[in-house]
Amino acid sequence: MTCKIKTLNNNNRMSTQELLQTISRKIEEGVTDFEIDACGQHDIGGSCWSKEGKPLKFTITNPGQRVGAMAMDGTKIVVEGSAPADVGWLNSGGEIVVKGDGGDTSAHCAAGGKIYIGGRVGTRSGALMKHDPKFEPPEFWVLKNTGSFSFEFMSGGIAVVCGDGCGELPSVLGNRSCVGMVGGVVYVRGKVEGLANCVEKVKLDKLDKDFLKSGMELFLEKIGRLELKDELLDFSKWVKIIPLPKELKEKKISVKEFKEKEWFKEGLFGDLVEDDGAVYELAQTGDGRLRKPVWDEKLCVGCDLCLSNCPQKAVIKEDKTYKSVDEKCIGCGICSAVCPREAWRMV
Amino acid sequence: MAAVKVNEIHKNDLPWIIEYDESKCIQCGKCVAACSFNAIRPAVELRKSNSITNKGKTERVLVIKQNISLDNYCRGCGMCANVCPNGAIKAVRNRDDKYSVVYRAVKADSFKKGGRSNLNTEGRTLDKIKIGRISQMTDPSLDAQRHTFELRTPFGRVLKADKLNFGKEGEALIETSKLPPNRWIYPVIFGDMSIGAVSWRMWEAMAIATAYLNEVMGIPIRMCTGEGGIPTKLLKSRYVKYMILQIASGHFGWNRIIKAMPDMTEDPAGILIKIGQGAKPGDGGLLLASKVARYVQEIRGVPKADLLSPPTHQGLYSIEESVQKMFLSMNAAFNFKVPVAIKVAASVTSVSVYNNLLRDPYNIVGGFFLDGLAAGTGAAHEISLNHTGHPITSKLRDCYLAAVHQGRQGEIPLFAGGGLGQSGSFAADAFKLICLGANGVFTGRMLMEIAGCVGSDTGKCNACNTGLCPAGIAAQNDNLVKRLDVDKVAQNLVNYILATDIELKKLMAPIGCSSLPIGRSDALITVDKHISNRLDIQYGC
Amino acid sequence: MCRIGAIKSKRKLHPSIALKLMRSQQEGHDDSGFAFVMQDMGGLFENYKDLPLLSMAATVEGTRLAEDILRELGFSRVMQWSPDINNRKGLKIEAMPNYMFEVLQYPKSYKHATKEEKEELLIDTAIRLRKTLEETNSGFIYSFWPDVLTLKEIGSPRDIGTYFNLWEGNKDLTASIITAQCRQNTNYDIVRYAAHPFFLEGYTGLVNGENTFYEKNRDYQERLYKGYIGFESDSQCLLYTLHYINKILKWPLKYFKHTITPLSYDEIIQREDSEILLRIKASLANLEINGPNTFLAVTPDKELLCVCDSKKLRPVVIGKDDDTVIMTSEVAGINDLMPDRDITQDIYPNEHETIVVKDDLTIERWQQ
Repeated sequence: MTCKIKTLNNNNRMSTQELLQTISRKIEEGVTDFEIDACGQHDIGGSCWSKEGKPLKFTITNPGQRVGAMAMDGTKIVVEGSAPADVGWLNSGGEIVVKGDGGDTSAHCAAGGKIYIGGRVGTRSGALMKHDPKFEPPEFWVLKNTGSFSFEFMSGGIAVVCGDGCGELPSVLGNRSCVGMVGGVVYVRGKVEGLANCVEKVKLDKLDKDFLKSGMELFLEKIGRLELKDELLDFSKWVKIIPLPKELKEKKISVKEFKEKEWFKEGLFGDLVEDDGAVYELAQTGDGRLRKPVWDEKLCVGCDLCLSNCPQKAVIKEDKTYKSVDEKCIGCGICSAVCPREAWRMV
Repeated sequence: MAAVKVNEIHKNDLPWIIEYDESKCIQCGKCVAACSFNAIRPAVELRKSNSITNKGKTERVLVIKQNISLDNYCRGCGMCANVCPNGAIKAVRNRDDKYSVVYRAVKADSFKKGGRSNLNTEGRTLDKIKIGRISQMTDPSLDAQRHTFELRTPFGRVLKADKLNFGKEGEALIETSKLPPNRWIYPVIFGDMSIGAVSWRMWEAMAIATAYLNEVMGIPIRMCTGEGGIPTKLLKSRYVKYMILQIASGHFGWNRIIKAMPDMTEDPAGILIKIGQGAKPGDGGLLLASKVARYVQEIRGVPKADLLSPPTHQGLYSIEESVQKMFLSMNAAFNFKVPVAIKVAASVTSVSVYNNLLRDPYNIVGGFFLDGLAAGTGAAHEISLNHTGHPITSKLRDCYLAAVHQGRQGEIPLFAGGGLGQSGSFAADAFKLICLGANGVFTGRMLMEIAGCVGSDTGKCNACNTGLCPAGIAAQNDNLVKRLDVDKVAQNLVNYILATDIELKKLMAPIGCSSLPIGRSDALITVDKHISNRLDIQYGC
Repeated sequence: MCRIGAIKSKRKLHPSIALKLMRSQQEGHDDSGFAFVMQDMGGLFENYKDLPLLSMAATVEGTRLAEDILRELGFSRVMQWSPDINNRKGLKIEAMPNYMFEVLQYPKSYKHATKEEKEELLIDTAIRLRKTLEETNSGFIYSFWPDVLTLKEIGSPRDIGTYFNLWEGNKDLTASIITAQCRQNTNYDIVRYAAHPFFLEGYTGLVNGENTFYEKNRDYQERLYKGYIGFESDSQCLLYTLHYINKILKWPLKYFKHTITPLSYDEIIQREDSEILLRIKASLANLEINGPNTFLAVTPDKELLCVCDSKKLRPVVIGKDDDTVIMTSEVAGINDLMPDRDITQDIYPNEHETIVVKDDLTIERWQQ
């Protein structure tokens, strides 16, 4: 039994609330087949089911936003013309066919079911599509093109954008699509420019081609454009967009490498100071000491206190001559402190 | 043992007291070796022995002692504690410090220091401001990680649209007259620290970070050279396009700049005429002789002596003359292709200066840098550091609103600095100042901290003036300079800017801005009624 | 959110078409008001195209004050039209006592005045009327310009239509361009002046969106031109910027998009006209719009204009048949009015586009 609902009588328009409540009442009464002459009402065909598990079918003209939003397994929706924003938002299992265009954010967050669009879709379409591994992945088929920023943050599912009649567009996916995409796949036919740098375009393999072959015919049949089959299945124009593996994301050279490759060979101050680039410790030996010990033979009484107290074992004695070994001494001045005659002086 | 008299300097007069635990000390001597201020020394103490064999006899014990001296005294930098393997030594703040009193009494000279004001009596306005307008339902906020943001601001004189004199060629506008130079730069500028004020390694690290951020990361940051000359190599390289050359009252280093001009392949990013600085307004540059190393003498063209820049540019008696002499000449030097900006210390008079510059009929003033009193400095008289100046926030706001009042906001871009990041959130400070009307900010302080400065606003170290910076940043002693790891500092500077970039976006996103929110004071609220009134932003409680 | 629409036709249309365009988009607005601007009038106004037409809603006192001012300035009434009011019970509308739609003759002293002098007189008069009505809290003036009629009211669009008897078309009140919006409030108050479409000196603008640079725009525009007043809505800024670019600066329309949503620096430097675009970006930085927007406008040349924000956050679609073009927020509205058009010709503007409907209804798409 088909239930026909006309939503406009003279100047009185049925509100979305009234319409959706009517539909749900009819479903409870056992109706499974609806023909709705809408006037922009929202959410038609979404989140409804028959208790007996019978499939539901909606044929809709002029829906408003979110046609088929939260559509469930077993729901089939056909929109005869175009539909505004959010077609199939959170689609969970419905089959949604829009014969005309889809508005912005079509298939937004879809995680199941199939969405077939016979025209183009707007910006941010396919954004946040997901795939719950317990169920079949969502499919989102578009005959023409998408607006910019599509497939943002996509994390699963399959999108197919056929680019039909889009030869003059600079990009079939608009600009900056696939930003933040971390999963799923987008098949595209035609020119693609301005993609986010977190994804890559790769050639189709056999599995991809098999998928497109089997899906395309069904898609074109649904939207009534079977005549395009041969043209669209010419795989030479197709690419597949997938997220770049993390390790392949653009790697930049380090500052150190930049300095070695691009910077002044001798350093910026190479002709003004002597600097080999070595980095000194706080207690540096050799020339890097803040203070150095100097030994005065005339004052020395040969008590060897410096020899025994030097923490670095830097003081050595050869015959009666004491010496501090530059490579060991850190300039702490202990030799000088322990010397009873001030034979060691720090300078 | 020497006699101790009351009217001599004592340990208790000094700002820091060394706490030394003899029982943990292994007498390795590293603390003494590391101390750049010569504030400690190894010494032998005579003690009565407690050991059974030598009981009652005098014995000699090696210990570490603090030097009690007006010249070599502990600044609390903490290097001794850093290097000690056993935690046997540390500097502890002396709450009864009388050092600056004794210093003046003995030396009959004003007390000088580096770093920053330690009084902080004014509190921090920026911390009492929050970003209170969050886009939620009406306009979506953006995704800081993934959306596109543009963090660029014009630098150079911006003309009002009806003064652009565009002509038309069909449906296209065309330029019919030469317009003042204008560049699009990152809203953070590496603040002007001269070669001499900082070490060659620090300066090079900043220059490398600047070049890297531009060429590898695509962040168009600019570095102001400070007024201590610039290596000729840099002037003749492509990197000069990231450098804002500074001229201050000392005119140091300009001979080499002028000589290099014919060989320069790129224009510099801009010229910054420094009239004053926030840390010590009304006072000129001060580079003590101890910091005038040989290479500093060479590129500045000076002997080893205290280098005092005059507090004002000689020959500038009025604002008109300033504009003509400094701005016109500096514009002319690079054939009117390089933006010429001015840096002044925030002051009660800043608005009149700004208004005068806005009204300059020749449009040759390309930026107004306003430096607040919490700014840092390489060296200053403590009296200037602690008692002169004006906080940045209200003065920046005054200048912006003065321009708004005339419908001329944005015509001379405003850049604000002075104490940004003082409480740890540089990006937040920058963002708030931008919302209050700044086109961008500049910072020297953050660069120092990133490079490992151990100083604080509460009297720690602050010895930049001595040339003995223990971190090698403001040092001019070769062996201290070489403590600084150029690669690491450059990398850390880069990292900090990358983090700041993320954080700025993190603040732009929730207020729904994809370009800089210059003048978007509607995004701010304050929890202080006085600040609300003064800055004309919403009060929230 | 609001729902907006602009219709341009080779025929003269009655405002009932605007009500019908908005009807299917009801869930997109909050049922708080309805407003429309008609330009290139037909019907009763057909023969007065060169004379200023005043659109006002006022109390008895406000009406008197306005007439005094007009008389004092030397304007004389040529024709007056009043809507056919259906004040039946239960209508959700906050009506004003009087709605004045008057065609006036310029003062005698303006007999030889130039177009510019006359325009100056009209804007000065409109500002003065507005000020007087505001001070006495006695009414609202919406437009005072030749060949333009504006009606705005608070309430449910359906009931506003019933109240003014607008649901049934007639040949008296018609125009070739009608712009309309549903929803009267701003995010703050419900104010008549905040209702789009806004009109200023031949330019009409209406916005579905938010302008997060509102204060920045307003701070700048308040000192840019005397006609930039009100600012009851953050959307007025878009109209004022269009007026400034096109009328004051006399720049071609394509630079409007470059002003409100300038390209990024990196995009600009790739272009041949980078010098010009960077100058515009700097000099008119205070007129940049941030936030989600769709802006529809009418120019004095009777062209329709459509631009979106640079992230394309708000919806809009353009449909066309042989003699009419409709721009509106949702395709449902167009489907209702033109169910038989070729939907493959529908245009969905992108974030860098300016769509212009020329006077002969040809559509140009300019990429920024």
